[in-house]
Amino acid sequence: MTELLQAVILGLLIGGVYALMASGLTLVFGVMNIINVAQGAFLIFVAMVTWWLWKHTGIDPILASVITTPMMFGLGWVLYRTVIVRIRGSSPSMSVLLTFGLALTIEGVLNLTAGNKFKSATPSYFEESFRVGSIALPKAQVYGFVAAILVLGALYVVLTRTWTGRAIRASAQNPSGAALVGVGATSTAALAFALGASTSGVGGSILSVLYPFFPASHYDWISRLLGIIVLGGMGSLPGALVGALVLGLAETLTATYGSLRWATLVFYVVILAVLLFRPQGLFGTRLREDAVA
Amino acid sequence: MLELTGVVAGYGGGAVLQGVDLVCDEGTITCVVGPNGAGKSTVLRVVSGLLTPSEGTVMMGDIQLSGQSAAAILRAGVTQVPQSQALFPHMSVRENVLMGGFLIRRDKKLLMSRLEQVQQLVPLVADRAAQHGGNLSGGQRRMVEIARCLMLDPKVLLLDEPSLGLDPRSLAAVAELINRLHGDGVTVLLVEQNVRLGLGLATHGVVMEGGKVRLTGSATEVMNHPEIATLYLGGTSATTKAADAVPHDSAGAPSQ
Ligand SMILES: Nc1ncnc2c1ncn2[C@@H]1O[C@H](COP(=O)(O)OP(=O)(O)O)[C@@H](O)[C@H]1O
Ligand SMILES: [Mg+2]
Repeated sequence: MTELLQAVILGLLIGGVYALMASGLTLVFGVMNIINVAQGAFLIFVAMVTWWLWKHTGIDPILASVITTPMMFGLGWVLYRTVIVRIRGSSPSMSVLLTFGLALTIEGVLNLTAGNKFKSATPSYFEESFRVGSIALPKAQVYGFVAAILVLGALYVVLTRTWTGRAIRASAQNPSGAALVGVGATSTAALAFALGASTSGVGGSILSVLYPFFPASHYDWISRLLGIIVLGGMGSLPGALVGALVLGLAETLTATYGSLRWATLVFYVVILAVLLFRPQGLFGTRLREDAVA
Repeated sequence: MLELTGVVAGYGGGAVLQGVDLVCDEGTITCVVGPNGAGKSTVLRVVSGLLTPSEGTVMMGDIQLSGQSAAAILRAGVTQVPQSQALFPHMSVRENVLMGGFLIRRDKKLLMSRLEQVQQLVPLVADRAAQHGGNLSGGQRRMVEIARCLMLDPKVLLLDEPSLGLDPRSLAAVAELINRLHGDGVTVLLVEQNVRLGLGLATHGVVMEGGKVRLTGSATEVMNHPEIATLYLGGTSATTKAADAVPHDSAGAPSQ
């Protein structure tokens, strides 16, 4: 029983972090039909920056997200304005090509500057745990989860309570309707892309503590994140949250009762099973072909 | 008030509008009728700036609208209800209407007083405030779409087939709302397939066909013009069928 409880709680903790990482991906897809496969590379880039900051200044890696988040927001904005904007209106497959190129570029730069070795930020609490009764919760997981939930909450508030958020949601729900009320398509898309990138600021900083990484780790991460948003429904934020929790639980439960090696497989089996019955994912809506007037 | 001169526009593959001239005087309701594909919606898109004309000009008084961004044209006081799907389906009615004031969002006081006015004019906005745009009936959706357009207190209101898919009761409500706006001095440019309804509401009528204006005049003149019946023979399959099935003199009122 304790074992099960421990696995479930850990799964939820990890799932919260996955949810944050996937939120940026699904947001960007929902608003502009861009599948940003560089999101994984963003995470690794941030993890590398975080590791460097921690190593050289001693700043807590998770707290470093107060630096990496605005950094990624700015970087996302500039990337959109200079590179991504050029494929506006193209099919999503075009965005896969472009952002894959971006991911390879980031990987290459990291290889050259940081070297092709595993790294991991190991703050003082790295191997400590909170004990609640007979359950042990690694401190890093708990801090990471708390940070992720705070940022997801902030993202929710931005999207639902601010005009920027309304503009972003309006563009996602009905682009021509948004144009009719004066929402600028390009500036809104740039903000959405920047917000999406900024989630990898916190996500990457958390990653640097929770998982060892090296430049090519982004392949692992992007496939996980894509799995999550396909399961949840492309473009749906609640879907990303549920998909992420399912992945977290699948991992910890399989690791507890089977072997860690099977964890990812179990997750993909779940995805396949869900897609058989709901091709649009758990929370996805089918694209409305009739939306074009 | 609104003047189109020699407007040529299209969607990349040849001109849909082939030199459209059109004048709407201040405070009038002008109804554009014509068969499907005549370019009626395209005229409205050119005026609202969703489409930039390749030739010709659109003027509102002394202000040139053509060539300006859609947001600039909104700011100048021209708002549009498109033919279909204007609302944000996962936003509440209140939020949908508030989005109509996106351009005045920084002036919170103005925004809220406009919302108040719009709620007076369209009570549905307050009654269904929390309901999602996607869960409204066709008639309710139209009312909310029009309400949203009123948030900017427009000088010119563009309406694309407001009767589309509405039951008679919603139709009456929409017609009444248009009449009230007319009473408030708003200039209305309206596209209608339902010719009798559209011209019945309007002060002026315009007949379009094949991307050109064929006929203009007062609404009654256009309604009673012998040519309008013949023009409608070339309309949609639905109109053609209706026209085939009924005697010549009633072909002017193909009902939806
Ligand atoms: N978005 C579009 N892209 C390409 N062609 C279009 C588009 N919208 C309309 N058209 C074409 O322009 C012509 C006029 O369309 P429209 O103005 O919508 O006609 P109406 O409103 O009078 O029925 C039609 O032939 C239509 O096929
Ligand atoms: Mg039309």
